[in-house]
Amino acid sequence: MNGRSILYTSSPLLASPTPLWRSKLIVLAIAMAFGALAARAAYIQVLSNDFYQRQGEVRFARTLELPANRGRILDRNGLILASSVPATSIWAIPEDMERQPSELKRLAQLLDMPMAELDKKIQDEDKTFVWLKRQVDESVAKDIAALGLRGVYQRKEYKRQYPEGEAAAHVVGFANVENNGQEGIELSFNQSLAGRAGSRRVIKDRLGNVVEAVGEEVPPVDGRDLQLSIDSKVQFFAYQQLRDAVLEHKAKAGSVVVLDALSGEVLALANYPSYSPAKRQNLSGAQLRNRALTDTFEPGSTMKPFIAALALEKGLVTPTSTIQTAPGRMTVGGSTISDAHPHGVLTINEIIQKSSNVGTVKMAMQMQPREMWEMYSQVGFGQKPQLPFPGAVSGRLRAFKGWRPIEQATMSYGYGLSASLFQLAHAYSVFARDGELLPVTLLKAPQASVAGVRVMQARHANAVRSMLHLAAGPGGTAPKAQTMGYSVGGKTGTAHKQEGRGYADKKYRGFFVGIAPIEQPRIVVAVMIDEPSGGKYFGGDVAAPVFSQTVQQTLRLLGIAPDVAVKPQIVAKAEEESF
Amino acid sequence: MTRLHGVLLLAVLASALYLVYVQYESRRLFAEIDQARTQARKLELENERLQVEKRAQATPLRVERLARDQLQMRVATPAITHYVSGGALAGGVP
Repeated sequence: MNGRSILYTSSPLLASPTPLWRSKLIVLAIAMAFGALAARAAYIQVLSNDFYQRQGEVRFARTLELPANRGRILDRNGLILASSVPATSIWAIPEDMERQPSELKRLAQLLDMPMAELDKKIQDEDKTFVWLKRQVDESVAKDIAALGLRGVYQRKEYKRQYPEGEAAAHVVGFANVENNGQEGIELSFNQSLAGRAGSRRVIKDRLGNVVEAVGEEVPPVDGRDLQLSIDSKVQFFAYQQLRDAVLEHKAKAGSVVVLDALSGEVLALANYPSYSPAKRQNLSGAQLRNRALTDTFEPGSTMKPFIAALALEKGLVTPTSTIQTAPGRMTVGGSTISDAHPHGVLTINEIIQKSSNVGTVKMAMQMQPREMWEMYSQVGFGQKPQLPFPGAVSGRLRAFKGWRPIEQATMSYGYGLSASLFQLAHAYSVFARDGELLPVTLLKAPQASVAGVRVMQARHANAVRSMLHLAAGPGGTAPKAQTMGYSVGGKTGTAHKQEGRGYADKKYRGFFVGIAPIEQPRIVVAVMIDEPSGGKYFGGDVAAPVFSQTVQQTLRLLGIAPDVAVKPQIVAKAEEESF
Repeated sequence: MTRLHGVLLLAVLASALYLVYVQYESRRLFAEIDQARTQARKLELENERLQVEKRAQATPLRVERLARDQLQMRVATPAITHYVSGGALAGGVP
C-alpha cells in the first residue's frame, strides 16, 4: 500500500503511520484508571468495609433506650402508695437564649422561681446545658412550650407520686429525681422496684422518623409492683390520732405500730413529726427518722408481764399467789427500789395490774439471770427485727453473765436494756398468740394466719393476757386504754429519758402496748409519746388514749364485731310499733 | 434468543422496581407501627397518671375532711352501730 511511489494527493505527513506504542499507552492509561477504580472499590468494599459501615450507621442508626417503669407500691387492698407518672423537666442552653426581660419574667413566673434564681442559672453563657427546673406539672410544661422561647427545651422524665403523703411517709420512703430509692421501702426494695431499661436499634430518616428496626430489641423489664401489709386507712387513722396526741401533750415526737396478731403483718407504722414526700426541701433528721424502728428506749414497766410469764412458766407462782410488797420499797445490793404508791399484799394479777416494781423484783430475784435473758431474747429483745427496712436497730440486751443483782432487779422492770417500739409490739404478740412469737412482715402475707415460734405455754400466755386486761380495766394503770365495744388489755410504761450517763430530770417517754380483743386477739398496738410536756406524762394518760382510738378504728375497719356489750346510742329513731 | 433476553431484562427491571416499592411500603408501615406504639405508651402513662390523681383525690385525709366538714358526718362507734349477724333475714325492724 505504501510502496515507493509518491502520491501527491496525500501528504506524506498524513501518511506517516501512528506509532503503536501511543495507542498502547492510551489503552494502558485507561486500564490503569479502571484498575485504580477497582482497587478503590475493593478497598472500600473489602478492606475497610467495617469502617465505612460504621460511619454510615452513625449517620442513620440510633440506639433508643426503652425506659422501664418503676414498680408501684400498693397497700394491702391494692391502693396506690407510690407510683411513677411522667413529668416534664425544663432545661436550657444559655448561649442560645434571647434575653428579653418580659419573656424571662414570664418564664420565672411559670417556673415558680424568683427572677434572681433564674438569672443565676442562665448567667454563664458558655454553658450548653442547664436544668431550669425538674419535674414540673403537665400544665406548666404546656404553658412554657406555648411561650416558644429559644434555647429552652423540655425533656420527659418520671416523677414519683405519693398520694398518701405524710401519713405513710416513713414506711414508703421516697425516691429521688433519678428514681433511686432513698428511704424506707423505696430504698430497701429499690432493685426489684427499679426494673431494667431495655434498648433497640433503629434507622431514622432525615426527619427523625423511625423507619426500620435493626437487630434484636432488648425489651425493658418493668419494676415489680410491691404490695405492702400496710392498710392505708388504719395507717391514716393511727397517724392522725398520734399527731393529735403529740400536739395536745406538747410532745416532741411519737410513734405507733399496729400488728395483725394472726398473720404478723404490720398494718400501720406511723411516726410524728413526719414529712410530705412530695416536698422534700429542708427536711430535718427529726422528721425523716422512722422512730418506731430506729429509736430505742428503756421499755420500763412494759417488761413486767414477761417476768410474770416466766415466773408462771417456771412454776414459781400462780396468777393468784400472793407477794408482800409493803412497805413499797426494798433494797437490792445497796440500792433502793420503790413503788409509786405503796401496796400491801398483792396477787400476781394485781402486781401487773398496779404495775408494782417491788412485786416484780421479788419474782425476778427467784430466777437465774440466764432464764431472764433467754425469755427476753426469745421474744426478740436485743435482736434486729426481721424487717427489710433500712436503719432498723436491735436495741440493747447485755449478756446475762455480767449482770449484778441490782441490774437483774432493774431489768425485771425494764431499765438497763433498750428496745424499739416495734420490738416491743412484736414481743407482745407472744401474749396475743397464746405463747407463740409471730414472724413479722411488711409485705402482704399470702395466708391469713401463720405459725409462730413457741416461747411459753398457751395457758401461761392466757393468764398474762388476763392480767393485761386487768391493767387496762378499773383499778389498773391505764383505764384510758379502754375502748367502746371491744375488750382490751395492755401495759403502760413511763420511762425517764436517758441523757448522757444519767437520767434527765422531767423528761419522760410515755408508752402503751396492748392487745385487742382480749379473748381472741386480732391486733397488737404499741404507742409511744416522746417528752410530753403538757403536764401529763404517764403512759396511761398520754399514750393509752391513742391506743384506745386506734384499736377502735382498726377493729372496725377489719370488720370485727364488738365483743363487749355497748349501750346503744342510735340517734335515728326506729319505726315505732303501733299499738 | 434475543427476545427471551429482552423479556428477562424487563422482568428483572420490574422486579427491581417492585422491590423498591415494597421496601418503601415496609418502612412506611413500620413508621406507623412505631407511632402507634409510642401513642400506646403515652396513653398508658396517662392512664397511670390519672389513676394516681384519682387516688390522690380519695385519700383518707381528704375523705375524712370532706365527710366531716361538708357532709357533717362523724366517726362510727359501736354505740351507734347496729350489728346484724350474717344469716339474719331482711325485713326485721331493728
